[in-house]
Amino acid sequence: MSTPAVSIDHVTKRFSGHVAVRDLSFSVPAGGIFGLLGPNGAGKSTTIRMIMDIIEPDEGKISLFGSAASSRDLSARVGFLPEERGLYKKMKILEHLAFLGEVKGMRVSDAKSKADKWLQRLGLGDWGQKKVEDLSKGMQQKVQFAGALIHDPELVILDEPFSGLDPVNLQVMKDVVVEIARSGRTVLFSTHIMEQAERMCDRIVIIARGEKVVDGAVTEVKAGFGDRNIALTFVSGKEAAERILADRAMVAKCDDYGASAEVSMVAGVNPQSLLAALVGAGVGLSRFEVIEPSLQAIFIAKVGNAGVAPANAEAA
Amino acid sequence: MSKTFAIIRREFIARVRTRTFLITTLLLPVFMVAVSVIPALMMRGGDRTTRIAIVDATNDGFGARVESALGSESLSGKPDAPKRYALNRVAANGHMVAVRDSLVALTGENPAQHPETFDGVLVLGDSMLQTGEAEYLGTNTSGLESMGSLEGSLSRVLRETRLANSGINPAVLKDALRGADLKTTKVSGGKATGESGAASFMIGYFMAFVLYLGVVLYGQQTMMSVIEEKTSRIMEVLASSVRPFQMLLGKVLGVGSVGLLQMSIWGGTVYLVTSQRVRLAGLVHVSPDAMQQFPIPTMSAGLFAIFLAYFILGFLLYGALYAAIGSMCNSTQDAQQYVAVLTPLLMVSFFAVFAIFKDPTGGIGVPMSMIPFFSQIAMPVRWSLSAVPPLQLVISLTLGVLALLGVTWVASRIYRTGILMYGKKPTFGEIFRWIRAK
Repeated sequence: MSTPAVSIDHVTKRFSGHVAVRDLSFSVPAGGIFGLLGPNGAGKSTTIRMIMDIIEPDEGKISLFGSAASSRDLSARVGFLPEERGLYKKMKILEHLAFLGEVKGMRVSDAKSKADKWLQRLGLGDWGQKKVEDLSKGMQQKVQFAGALIHDPELVILDEPFSGLDPVNLQVMKDVVVEIARSGRTVLFSTHIMEQAERMCDRIVIIARGEKVVDGAVTEVKAGFGDRNIALTFVSGKEAAERILADRAMVAKCDDYGASAEVSMVAGVNPQSLLAALVGAGVGLSRFEVIEPSLQAIFIAKVGNAGVAPANAEAA
Repeated sequence: MSKTFAIIRREFIARVRTRTFLITTLLLPVFMVAVSVIPALMMRGGDRTTRIAIVDATNDGFGARVESALGSESLSGKPDAPKRYALNRVAANGHMVAVRDSLVALTGENPAQHPETFDGVLVLGDSMLQTGEAEYLGTNTSGLESMGSLEGSLSRVLRETRLANSGINPAVLKDALRGADLKTTKVSGGKATGESGAASFMIGYFMAFVLYLGVVLYGQQTMMSVIEEKTSRIMEVLASSVRPFQMLLGKVLGVGSVGLLQMSIWGGTVYLVTSQRVRLAGLVHVSPDAMQQFPIPTMSAGLFAIFLAYFILGFLLYGALYAAIGSMCNSTQDAQQYVAVLTPLLMVSFFAVFAIFKDPTGGIGVPMSMIPFFSQIAMPVRWSLSAVPPLQLVISLTLGVLALLGVTWVASRIYRTGILMYGKKPTFGEIFRWIRAK
């Protein structure tokens, strides 16, 4: 595998009295979408701030693109959307975007033309000469999003990028994120909403109370979790089906609802063999679906409700 | 470096575009022009011939002397200018009160419709020469200058008449009465500068005021701009791309260049107004002579340069500290506590100016113009008042630059930690730890 875009090596960060991140290690491979998941106050933002070199870890090492340079020196290659959004209220949108490009090392003229393209793309083409304070909150979010991407970074780090967006804007930004990943670049984003991560991410890390709980490709994580259920809906041959479902060598548990049933397989048994047995016995099926455990379910199972810190500890 | 420049430029443009900048920049020069032209314009109203009836109850020709003395006065002191007074002497012939009252009845009418009327009646009693008492009944007796001038003229005639009556030759007399006329001119570097003492004082005071105000206003703006960046959370985006030192530098230089622009406009206006005031007077139809009566200071190019140099030095010194204070706080209210540390320094530097006015090369003036934190006001003021040895200027500037380096180092350390601190404001102990941290 090529050099990881981000590698975090035994990193610990303490804030007066409590440990925000404890001995955290993971790496983000180049290319694709990587999700940093965890409940509020788990240490996601602290981790991201350390990656961005805004704060320094107390212990451990973080490197970007396998380089020894600090991420601030590499900032021309990194785009960053902080959790706390902020723009200069009195500035014109186009100039603001250009400024954000400039502090990433772009030339003024390049930054301006790029800013214009992004505004067109996000449907804000007519707003370039308006001041930030004249925009709605959703529009400001989009401007900030464009600001993180204006210099075409090969690594994009987004802290809670989809929070507070309406469905339309959510879709627009998701499309942009997916497009970045498709072009071979890397997206690392944090979220506490598992459904988003489940649909978008190739790989995830779940952290809770500053410690890593789960790490891996989404498919592996789900497979590794084991607990797979199968949903069945019967058309005919219910009696034959009941005999097969009673076979405790294959089926661990069966919730029979009459016309349908939900089945848990014995560990290590392929769901295909159940399907073969049912079809062989002449059972008519209108539905046979292997239901993968949701990240939500895995998250709850691994972290438990205790892992969810009170909402007001979010600042950590 | 280009990132720092981007921050400087953003800061500069954001500030120059505000209405506040436009208004404050324009207002001071307008004020300056007004202060130099309006008095002359105002005085012009008094420059017309006053029609006076003289009730002459004197019996030794004193009334005639008064008439000829007043009659020879012209408005601007030049022989071809209009006469100051139009006189009409009436002998009292023993009926002083009746004559006076009949003339008073003729005052106050519009001269265009009633050319036979008067602006005032001057009554010279028969004991005038002894007692010096005279009476003026006029439509306008509150004009201090015109009344003073009339009184002065009467006194002069009185003096001359009394002395002549004692047998003193009028020619000798005139010679003897000529007073001293002391002209003060500042000498700098062995050369006369052409600035009068009064003008030096005015320019010194003006500079002290503008320098004090400039540092406080622009320092506060720097501070508030940092606080705004913190509260709007734009700080994180900047902090991930730009070093804290670059941010601090960009911020201070950005606001500073706005200040420099404004100071240049102001200083330049003073320079133009003072050097071109005669032409300026012509534009508003005020006689150049009237303009010259007011001790408007002139600003030499050298003084202008010193003024700007010390504004830059002083602003950077205090601006860096104001920025550091801003970085520690999340609201202007929080910041006041720390600003209270800077205010006494600025106050002392301003009030030291009065000691310098008293004695520019004295025990307060010389050290004050050398010590950083005070020299940014003291030195330009001293320069405007007296010749400053080049060595002292070099020492003052060197100390200033050294202090600037030290202050920037401390400020950037506070800034580095402060900008990402939210929540409660730090104690002085904590700030000290930030400075010492690696």
